[in-house]
Formats: sequence, C-alpha cells, structure tokens
Amino acid sequence: MIPPTLVDAITYSSLLGIMTFGLTFVRITTGVWNVAHGAFVTVGAYVVFTCTNLIGGNPYLYLPLAFIMGSITSVIEYLLIIEPLRKREASTTLMLVSTISFDLAMLSIINIYADYLQNVFNLPSKNFIMKKLDFTLFEAPGIFWVSFMFLIAFVIVLYFVLHYTKVGVALRACVSNPALANITGINVIYINLLSWFISGGLAGVAGGLLPLWIQGKPIVGDSFLALMFCVSIVGGVEEIYGTVLGGFLVGFTQTLVTLGLYAIFGAAVIPYKTLIPMMILVLTLLFAPKGLAKINWKKMLKIAKIGGPSKWKV
Amino acid sequence: MESLIVSFIIDLIALYSVYLIVNLSLNLQLGYAGIPNFGLVLAFTGGAYVMGWLPIRLCAWLFGIDPQLRANIIKNNAIIVSHINSCLQAQPLVAIGVFVLTLILALIVGAILGFISAYPAIRLRTDYLAITLLALGEVLAIIGRNYDPLVGGVIGILVPDLFSWAGESRFIVVSLMLLFMTALCFCIINIIVNSPYGRTLRAIRDNEIAASSLGKNVTRVRMQALVVGSMICSLAGALYASYSCYVGPAAYGRLEWTFLPWLMVIFGGVANNIGVMLGTFVFVTLRKLIEFYKYYFTFLPFDVVWLEYLLLGTIIVVILIFRPKGLISEKPSRTLAEKKLEKVVAELLHKRDSKAT
Repeated sequence: MIPPTLVDAITYSSLLGIMTFGLTFVRITTGVWNVAHGAFVTVGAYVVFTCTNLIGGNPYLYLPLAFIMGSITSVIEYLLIIEPLRKREASTTLMLVSTISFDLAMLSIINIYADYLQNVFNLPSKNFIMKKLDFTLFEAPGIFWVSFMFLIAFVIVLYFVLHYTKVGVALRACVSNPALANITGINVIYINLLSWFISGGLAGVAGGLLPLWIQGKPIVGDSFLALMFCVSIVGGVEEIYGTVLGGFLVGFTQTLVTLGLYAIFGAAVIPYKTLIPMMILVLTLLFAPKGLAKINWKKMLKIAKIGGPSKWKV
Repeated sequence: MESLIVSFIIDLIALYSVYLIVNLSLNLQLGYAGIPNFGLVLAFTGGAYVMGWLPIRLCAWLFGIDPQLRANIIKNNAIIVSHINSCLQAQPLVAIGVFVLTLILALIVGAILGFISAYPAIRLRTDYLAITLLALGEVLAIIGRNYDPLVGGVIGILVPDLFSWAGESRFIVVSLMLLFMTALCFCIINIIVNSPYGRTLRAIRDNEIAASSLGKNVTRVRMQALVVGSMICSLAGALYASYSCYVGPAAYGRLEWTFLPWLMVIFGGVANNIGVMLGTFVFVTLRKLIEFYKYYFTFLPFDVVWLEYLLLGTIIVVILIFRPKGLISEKPSRTLAEKKLEKVVAELLHKRDSKAT
C-alpha cells in the first residue's frame, strides 16, 4: 500500500506541475505572465462537472473535452488581446494587465454559467466535489495514478516533440530568440498560437482533474494563481522543465513540512501550509533568483564533495 | 427613494475616496517609480487588520470593560463593540484620539509590510517583481483566515464605530472625513512627484542605468517608493475598515484590492493623478450603479452583478488596445513657473552673450 502522505504529495505536485506548465510555457514563448491562466483551469473543471452531471459516465472520459475547451479559451485570449497588443509593442506590464481584464471577463462568464446551471438544472455548481466518482487502484485514488501518469507521459512526449520534430525545433527557436526565429522563416504567430493552445489545454486537463481531488467552485483556478506563480518562479522561467521540478519541490515540501510541523506543534499549523510555497519563493529569490532549473548542480556537487567555499554561486 | 439616493451618494463618496487613495498609492509606485506592485492587497489588508485589532482592545481597556469579557475579545466581539459604541457616543475626543492612533499604527505597519515584501524582490526585473509581489500579497489573507485572535478568522470581527458620536449623521461625517483624507493624500503625492525626488523616480523608471550613472541609488529609491506606497495603501485599508465597521479576510481579496485598482489606474492614465481621479470615478460610479439597479434584473437566470466584471474587463481591453496611455496621458513634470523660467533663460542668454563679446 502506498502511504497516504506520498499519495497526497505526488497528486498535489503532479497537478501543480500540469497546471503551471502552461503558465511558464507562454511566459517563455510570448513573454506574457498570464493572470487568466487560472480561468482555463476553472473552465476544465466546469466542462467535466457539466458533462458528468448532464450526460453521465466517468469524469475521466471528459478530459479531452476539458483540454479542447481550455485550449479554445486560451487561443481566444491570445487572438483577441495578446496579439493586437504585441503588434502595438505593448510593454510586458501592460500585457499582464490585459490578462487581468480577460480574467475578470472569464470570472463573470464562469459565474454566470454556474448560476445558470444552478437555477436551470438545479446542480450544485457553486460548490461541488466528484471524489465519489473516482476509481481506486492498489488502495490509492484514481486521481493519483492519472495525474502522475499524465505528467510523466506529457514530459516524455514534450521531450520527443521538442527534440525530434520540426515543430519542436521551431518552438525551441522561438523560445531562445523569437526575432531570429522570425528572420529564419518560422511563423512566430503560429508557434505562439500553438504554445497558447497547449497551455490552455493543459490547464483545462488539470482543472478537469481538480474536482476529483478538492472542491470545485467558480474561483477554483484563480485560488491556485499565487501558487502557480510561486512554482513557476521557483522552477525558473527560462527552462521548460523547470516547472515540473518547481511543482514537485513546492508540492512535496508543502505536504512533508506540514506533516513535520504537525508532529511537533499539533494540528494548529495545518491551515498555514499555504504559506510554505511563499517561503520557498522568498528563499529562491534570495539564493537562486533564476530558479531551480538554472542552478549549476554539477558545480554544487563538486563544491559539496571538496568541502567548498563559503559562498555557493548558482 | 430620496433617502436611497442620498445613501447611494454617501456610499459612493466613501468608496470613491478609499479607492482613490489606493489608486494614488499605486500610481506613485507604478506610474512614477515604475514598480508594478501587484501586491497592493497586502498593505491594504495590513491597515484593515490594524483597525480590526487595536481600537477594540484599546477602547475595552479605556472604558473598563469586564475583564472576563475582554479575556476573549473575538468570542464576545458583538457585546464588547456594542458597549464601546455606547461609550464612544458620549466621548468624541477619545474616539478621535483612538482613530488617529490607529491610523499612525496602520502607517507603520504599512511601511513594514512594504519593506518586507520588497526586500527579496526589489532587484528583480519588472515582470518578475510584479509576479513575486502578487504571490506575496496573499500572505496576510492566509494568516488572517486562520489565526482567529488577529481579526476573528474566517468570520471576521466587528470594529468599534469611532464615529458613533456623530449620531444620525455618522455616514455623512465619515464620508467627508474620507474625502478630506483623500485630498490630503492627493496633495502629499502631488508634492512628492513634483519635487526633485519625484523627478528622480521618473528618471529611474525611464532609464535605470542612466539614473544610476548619475549617482542615484536605484534600489534604495525604488524601495522607498514601495514603502511610501504601502504606507498610503495601508492607511486606505484602515479607513475602509473604520467606514464599514467590520474586518474579515474575505472582504480583502486580490480582485477587489489589487486587480481593480490596477484597471482603474490604467483606465484613467498612468503617471497622471488627475487621470487616476477620473478613472476611479468612472469605475466606482459604474460599479455602484450596477449594484443599485441590479434588482430590476431579477428575471435573468443569473446574478446581474457578474455583468459588472464582464463590462469592466471589456472596457479595459478596448482601452489597452486603442488608448494604452489611458484617458489622460502623462504630462511632463512641472519645474519652475513659466515666467520664472523665461527670466532664468534670459539671464543665461545674457551671460552667454556678454561672455562672447
């Protein structure tokens, strides 16, 4: 039997990794910190909730639909707001503000939709959880297996796409130097669109999985926003795989440190567990401002072996 | 209907004043110093928590409330506040004294919060800084929700009415006081931004390297701007709590006290306090009107309040695309008066001519 703490930590970290990946990805490709990313997560949650309640069946069946709806929402944001602003050479701060407005609009639409579901179909759309519909395998909930497998599969697929396909090479070129990529004939807009599509889709999938784990509500995605930014910065926004590292560091630390503190101070510390990612963020900014992915681990190990100088450079 | 309109206007003035203080503080940080503070809610909540924490304890001690009741202020909150309010009705000077003391403490707390949140992040690039401040902005909300002795946890806490001495005119007095505080903040910020220090802020905003090559300590000046901005923001939080006589973590969310101020400032015009005044007025009035008329739309299968965010979001997107500098764009900083400037130029020209001859 897998220890429940490990199940918790892996599920939490995997979900964090999946939902934050898109946030970091669009930051790398288009230079935009997308505050509306949480809305894509919420869209995914509502797609799965609606389909499961109105059509029936297993929630996992609707994950592809959650991916598509998340992607469509993301692409709409890109085409309606980001691309026109990019053409006008808006600053990153202005683009960030534009994503806030999109988030506001999405918040309205999601709440209107939730009200509609509640009033017309009598569904508990403002607060729902679908844990009962989940399956169990080796005494661990299905969400544990699905989220972890999905993250692993995604990282493997991404690795092969980025290294062995033309689209992947174009994507990497745009990540490294968009202007140079444009000169060499790569259609940067298509690549950007692709990155927003993937980003929204992944957030949608993470959102679709969330109600199997925690309570879904119209702000379920937005409630993870600060955490997602923490993961993104801790992992490092200049390296695609940094998010996965960041997700696992934040997820595991939060779960395990909380447990450790619980053993020492009792149950009173549990509500403060959300402060742990903030502390990790502060420590990262102080000691490794470029994030985990940019730490020179070889050098660190070498220093550790020989006793090392007093100041570690990262 | 008449009384409804009067209360609408009073509430509008109060809300406008509080938002304007927050927005002016953001404009100082974003518009003049170029610091994208997405953690406004941190200082705002800090100020509100001070108002929720100090006056009730201070007044309970001053008015000799039963020590047994005082032993659990959160649990006996309603009884204690009702007793304090009845005492404050007869002692306006005590009420004003407590109010001023609380505001001073709120300013100090704001400064500390500004410094703590800025310290690890101030050297970061603009967007990194923005995101870090956004994430750190959540800290007080988490503490407030979970540490009951601070402001009553999720349920919140009632704040003694420090204007109960005004009787039936309480809301008018508070609104006027808020308007006065807003005017004061407006004047102070205008003095700051039009002083040589304000020009240093703009210089750093426009070109950090150039400003640094001229001997300006960029990190220190940015830190100072963030601390001053947080102080003003914290003041707004305390004022809002004193107006609503309630503090609860749920009332101090990121959306209301970070995102909306940002949209108002961008809408009105960054680095232009008049523009910010206008932007705030349009936004707050629009929101109040939607709230006022929402009962006429009960036939809809959803709460009409949600249309508010849709409308605001759309307006901002349109503004950002077609008028990115806002309704009123930034004006060059004021230096000397025109006549004085002409005189100085004439003197300089005269000196140059006399040297040449």
